[in-house]
Amino acid sequence: MAQSETPPSPDGTKRRDLLATGTLALGCAGACALSVPFLNSLKNPAATPLSDNTLEVDLSTLAPGQNMTVQWRDWPVFIQRRTPQILAALQAPGHLATLRDADSKILQQPKDATNWHRSVRPEYGVLIGVCTHLGCVPTFDKPSSAPDAEGGYFCPCHGSHFDAAGRVVQRAPAPYNLPVPPVTFLSDTKIRIGHSAGDPGFSMSDIQQI
Amino acid sequence: MTRRIRPLLLAASLTALPAAASTPAQRGLVVFQQVCAACHGMEHVDYGDMTALGLSPDDIRKWAADQDLPDGVDDNGDPKTRHATPSDPILSPYPNAAVGRLANHGLLPPDLSRLVLTLPGGADEIRQILLSYAPTPPGVKLDEGRYYNTALKWKHIGMPPPLQDGMLTYPDGTRATSVQMANDVSAFLDWVAHPHQSERRRIGLYVLAYLALMALLTFLLQRRVWSSRR
Amino acid sequence: MPSPDRMPDTEPSGWLDRRFPVTGFLRREYVAFPMPRNLNALWSFGAFLIVTMAFMIASGLFLAINYTPDITQAFASVETIDRQIPSGWFIRGLHMGGVTMLFACLYIHLGRGLWYGSYKAPRELLWLTGLGLMLMIMVTAFAGYVLPWGQMSYWGATVVLNAVHAIPLIGHPLSELLLGGETLGNIALRRLFVLHFTMAFAILGVIALHVAALHVVKSNNPTGIDPTSPAQTLPFHPYYTSRDGFALCLFLMVYAGLVFFLPGLLTLADNYIQANPLITPRDIRPEWYFAPFYAILRAVPSRLGGLILAIGSLAVLFALPWMDRSSIRPATRRPLVRFSLPLAFASFILLGIAGMHPPTETWLIVSRVAMAWWFIHFLLVMPLASEREIPS
Repeated sequence: MAQSETPPSPDGTKRRDLLATGTLALGCAGACALSVPFLNSLKNPAATPLSDNTLEVDLSTLAPGQNMTVQWRDWPVFIQRRTPQILAALQAPGHLATLRDADSKILQQPKDATNWHRSVRPEYGVLIGVCTHLGCVPTFDKPSSAPDAEGGYFCPCHGSHFDAAGRVVQRAPAPYNLPVPPVTFLSDTKIRIGHSAGDPGFSMSDIQQI
Repeated sequence: MTRRIRPLLLAASLTALPAAASTPAQRGLVVFQQVCAACHGMEHVDYGDMTALGLSPDDIRKWAADQDLPDGVDDNGDPKTRHATPSDPILSPYPNAAVGRLANHGLLPPDLSRLVLTLPGGADEIRQILLSYAPTPPGVKLDEGRYYNTALKWKHIGMPPPLQDGMLTYPDGTRATSVQMANDVSAFLDWVAHPHQSERRRIGLYVLAYLALMALLTFLLQRRVWSSRR
Repeated sequence: MPSPDRMPDTEPSGWLDRRFPVTGFLRREYVAFPMPRNLNALWSFGAFLIVTMAFMIASGLFLAINYTPDITQAFASVETIDRQIPSGWFIRGLHMGGVTMLFACLYIHLGRGLWYGSYKAPRELLWLTGLGLMLMIMVTAFAGYVLPWGQMSYWGATVVLNAVHAIPLIGHPLSELLLGGETLGNIALRRLFVLHFTMAFAILGVIALHVAALHVVKSNNPTGIDPTSPAQTLPFHPYYTSRDGFALCLFLMVYAGLVFFLPGLLTLADNYIQANPLITPRDIRPEWYFAPFYAILRAVPSRLGGLILAIGSLAVLFALPWMDRSSIRPATRRPLVRFSLPLAFASFILLGIAGMHPPTETWLIVSRVAMAWWFIHFLLVMPLASEREIPS
């Protein structure tokens, strides 16, 4: 059918083409602009500067060698009270040689926890219990369950081993150490998770991976 | 009973004012915090929504923390409370409707979230009610807990006269007369009922301008196409 | 133009078409598709309906993401959409304004079909699918209006529920099937939510049928005489694409005006109060698009009678292709219909106005007269005119 051809343009093709292209382009731009509020509505409503992301935890009931789990920003946080045996194990040269990142070179913790015990005070360890492999929650290997256990963590999903300071062993599928949240000691037995007095600028969004 | 509680609640809410209240709605927020909030809530409005009126995050946190919310039970099975956070709603001070009625001679102070939309007359009517209290004329006998108010059809209302000249100090130095406070608080409640209205209208103008331009272009295109018809 | 099936493989559309004939289909149905040369602006309302439907589906999906179908949380979740969800007020505004635009276009589209006789052979199925769509949209709109769980949602649904109860034998079982009980509660809200959500996509399917039927029988036109030669037609593109494009811009300006500047114009303030089964709002009335049928319901003293007549007012439209035996399509060329049909349109509008006013004596009389004319037109004038009328 000859009719379906674009009608001939007596006064120059160029101008009409500009008009048609321009209209089409502007129409498409409008459609794109329309998608903005829809995508906007999918934003995380909790991610406002207003959200109060600190949690105070009382440690007075935590006995040496015990581990407790609290929830902070939807993450499980492991708080561990370390025994002298655990602390000794963390520094054993033979143990350090098996770790992927023994010196915590990769940013997975605030500055005040970038040390051999990966915490503000050696006797307390605070870790985010999310395996850096695929996000499962590791379980605590109690020192009491096996006499030689060093109080490390074991991920049930793919068998990653972490030591008591959350450092991952070399042969594990997890690529990084467990993240350490910012922690401030309010007293000897009370901590605030969510703010680090030693590294005030630290934010969880800065770390390599959670 | 209410009369004795109110000054206490008032003192408790004397925190968290906008740094420099200047628009009527901003000043109205001060009136709400210090006067209305003693009996009324806005259950669909969050403390955090007040950022849109220029209240700083710290002030919002402080204001929210004045309110305690039930938070399950403690280890002994006793009810626990926690401080409200910016993402919590601005609830009325009464834990439930029954307590609210008990404290107000059987009448529950209404929620203010959408009052401007649902009260016939809207913000003007609220302003009128706030300014139309008068001494009960001789010969008129009102029930206990009823106050003479000429703005209402039956000339009485359950809300005690809430505004008195100079009862609060505006941070921006505006003189807090009853008329001023009534204007401001009705402007605030108007904003609360449709908080996105100015944004809605502003965007609407852009959208209409865009569509008008598109209409012009498609009109030209259409005329061109149809004029070349055989 | 060479037929797409014979296009060489070197052309991208030829390659694709041989395997999946989509470009050929589009070319045939939306580019070269022959349209009558003389369509007027009323023929753009079908395009408006498609666009409005797209807006409804898109905004509806995003509302559903944030909505909670639970009687204790539904109202609050809608408030959260309006207040706290980023751009939520806009998405809800699109959905609320969209209902009005949808029904306005639907009634105009239907009125055009009546005026120009688009329901007559060979377009009966086009007409019936269109009426089916209208019923589906009405059911969907009713279910959707209950979802915010405001006072009007609750009491509007209660009134309809009691009207359904009036149906002998099946009334109670039907409402139990729909609502899971005798009164509105959580089960009902969930069912209505699923109904609303599912119907939206069922409507899309029936729209496809409606459009497919249109592409078989082609568009009617104001003269009612189908084009017989290619010279009497124009290709859909660019003629009607450009014209519909322009019309659509004007239409969207009205829609945007409603969404951005008059969001409260068509909503009833009482729906901003959470549903309370103990208090009926003082002046309860339906949304404007249901007002004509509500007026009929009220105008009849019997509950069952009102329901039968309200349903009958739509049923006569279904029967119309067989009631009107005249071969002449447009009312303009039929002296009797030319007067009777506008009166029927006026009756519909009057019923709508009456339905939104309190049922005073005056409005009841107006409703009854208007309702009577609606039925007289479709049941008496149309069959008689087919026999007696001398076409002008």
